[in-house]
Amino acid sequence: MSVETILLILVLVAGFYTAWNIGANDVANAMGTSVGSGALTIKKAVILAAIFEFTGALFFGSHVSDTIQSGIVNSEVFAGNPLILVYGMLAALTGTGIWLQTASYFGWPVSTTHSIVGGIIGFGAVIGGIDAIYWDNVGFIFLSWVVSPVLGGLVAYFIFGILRKQIFYTSEPVENAKKLTPILIFVFVIILVILLMFHGLEHINVRFNFIQTVAISLGFAALCSLLSYFWVNGIEVPTASKEKQTPYNPEVILALDKAKKNLLLAQNSSVGSHRYQLSLLSDEIDNLSSSYKQNEDPELTRSQYAIVERIFGGLQIITACCMAFAHGANDVANAIGPLSAAISILMTGEILKTTVVPVWQLALGGVGVVLGLATWGWRVIETIGKKITELTPTRGFAAEFGAATTVVLASRLGLPISTTHTLVGAVVGVGLARGIEALDLRTTRDIFISWIVTIPIGAAITIATFYLLLEIFG
Amino acid sequence: MLSAIMNLFGRSPFAPLQSHMNQVSECVRHLKTLFEAVKRKDYDEVQSITDKISELEHEADVTKNDIRNHLPKSLFLPIDRGNLLEVLGLQDKIADRAEEVAILLTLKQIDMLDTFKDDFNEFLDKNIETFDCARLIIKEMHELLESSFGGAEAIKVRAMVDEVSFKEHEADIIQRKLLKSLFKAENEMTYSSFHLWLKIFETLGSISNLSEKLANRVRLMLELK
Repeated sequence: MSVETILLILVLVAGFYTAWNIGANDVANAMGTSVGSGALTIKKAVILAAIFEFTGALFFGSHVSDTIQSGIVNSEVFAGNPLILVYGMLAALTGTGIWLQTASYFGWPVSTTHSIVGGIIGFGAVIGGIDAIYWDNVGFIFLSWVVSPVLGGLVAYFIFGILRKQIFYTSEPVENAKKLTPILIFVFVIILVILLMFHGLEHINVRFNFIQTVAISLGFAALCSLLSYFWVNGIEVPTASKEKQTPYNPEVILALDKAKKNLLLAQNSSVGSHRYQLSLLSDEIDNLSSSYKQNEDPELTRSQYAIVERIFGGLQIITACCMAFAHGANDVANAIGPLSAAISILMTGEILKTTVVPVWQLALGGVGVVLGLATWGWRVIETIGKKITELTPTRGFAAEFGAATTVVLASRLGLPISTTHTLVGAVVGVGLARGIEALDLRTTRDIFISWIVTIPIGAAITIATFYLLLEIFG
Repeated sequence: MLSAIMNLFGRSPFAPLQSHMNQVSECVRHLKTLFEAVKRKDYDEVQSITDKISELEHEADVTKNDIRNHLPKSLFLPIDRGNLLEVLGLQDKIADRAEEVAILLTLKQIDMLDTFKDDFNEFLDKNIETFDCARLIIKEMHELLESSFGGAEAIKVRAMVDEVSFKEHEADIIQRKLLKSLFKAENEMTYSSFHLWLKIFETLGSISNLSEKLANRVRLMLELK
């Protein structure tokens, strides 16, 4: 067996193992919140995750994979000895694999994406020299690591703010939830479809011009919106259990309070009989308010909120699927990017001529992720699902909306980001909008630390593994 | 990486706050049977109920300290942390007052005279009623969290707060009536008994005052237009 064949096998195994690891550990972060809130059972979550992760990886994983394969390290530098690049990519894969096993054993929150990117940068800079790295691309990547949790948080904050104002703060939560659902679906689908279709599927030769893209996205969004409208209308609004003489309406009470305040103002600025008459008027208003208040059904608000949560349980299923899709698209690149670079060199004997990752490799990555999910990942989802029950469907929906759109955007731009950090940012966004009972902000400190620490460590491990491989094969 | 998401959710203080209120409620509940025993002049029973109340108050203290120990600065809450701690402190004070009333009754074998017996019953009932309204407000906390402290739920709670205020006002009026009855009977008891009854009325009255303060603190958490 020639050296090339051994290396080829090793690269395939390492790439597949990394993909398996992603399925086993990372997918749980995307789906766990939906299981915890009760929107999905574990079985449904795993099946949906498998389908959408694979689809995301296959149809949309090319952008980020291209970046990792050829957007970080300039392979021209290794034209004289292409095998060095192979060792480097293999070192990145295996080194990261070992680092991740160690980190998960100790419970450190380490990002696969950051480790691989750090490893490739480290290898490229040390072995190939400073000029071997596309520093402007790397700058964008670093920026995206900081911006993605912030953006996820902002969008989630905004969305939950809308939910708060339009649903929870109104007197008719269920009615307003029903009205809001088609709109939310429409906006969500349109953002995603536009991102996907706008030159997004070119690597499988699917091209649409601008008008076609807009038309398809509007049409698809409208269809989803319509479907959600019919589904939501099938849900009953709870009505008061007994017949009341006057229907309870908090808007009336608020308005009466305002009227009373204005009357008091008038009363204080007038004298004599006018003042006396104004005080009589404000007494009348007091009586009116209290007669309104007595007609309230105390059980009504409780059941209304329960139904709102049920509606958003359904919505959360959609956002969970999109999270899985986005995660597949962004993270499959961690395994397939290096693999693709290495295989291309091993099979052609020269450095990369094209910068496009072949579809079969994306499919291979997808299969690896699904296998990881099926053999180990479901257990992790179960664990997370049991432990995270604080996230009700409304909160989960807002957080996943923010996270999914951010990750899809980053994937479209070809930027490898950490889906977990983005989700954490989104959940913090919901918490800042007063949506969560207790948020431990020490996790954000851990994320800051991981930004600083992962690159050097990833780089160091990759370089060490590289020299090891050089010893064995060189 | 899974630990990142799981560690993001801290230990919520709201459920422990509600169970603390339930413990305080247990203390206050026993006051009714306590004064029944005083009427019957069953002073052994008075002592045993007082011991029970002391025990319950201590258990409530343990819960209170547990809550305080688990509120680090890094925990982000949907309401002002100071407000939450104040509500907890007020709940704790109510339990303390209930215990104080019980202990005052054990200091000497005191008599409840017929002259102010009825007024006193009214006073006791009104105080317990005021506290009960405050307890129901704390019970609504779960719904308030769901609705992010706004909307129809907040309006409902605000109405409950107004009710507590009104009941506290009624308790004040009854207290004045009760004190007048006590003064009328001043020659039928020793000065020490008189002084002790004054102390008991004062401490009992503070239960409704504290309940009103507690209700107002909760009102500060609400998001109302």
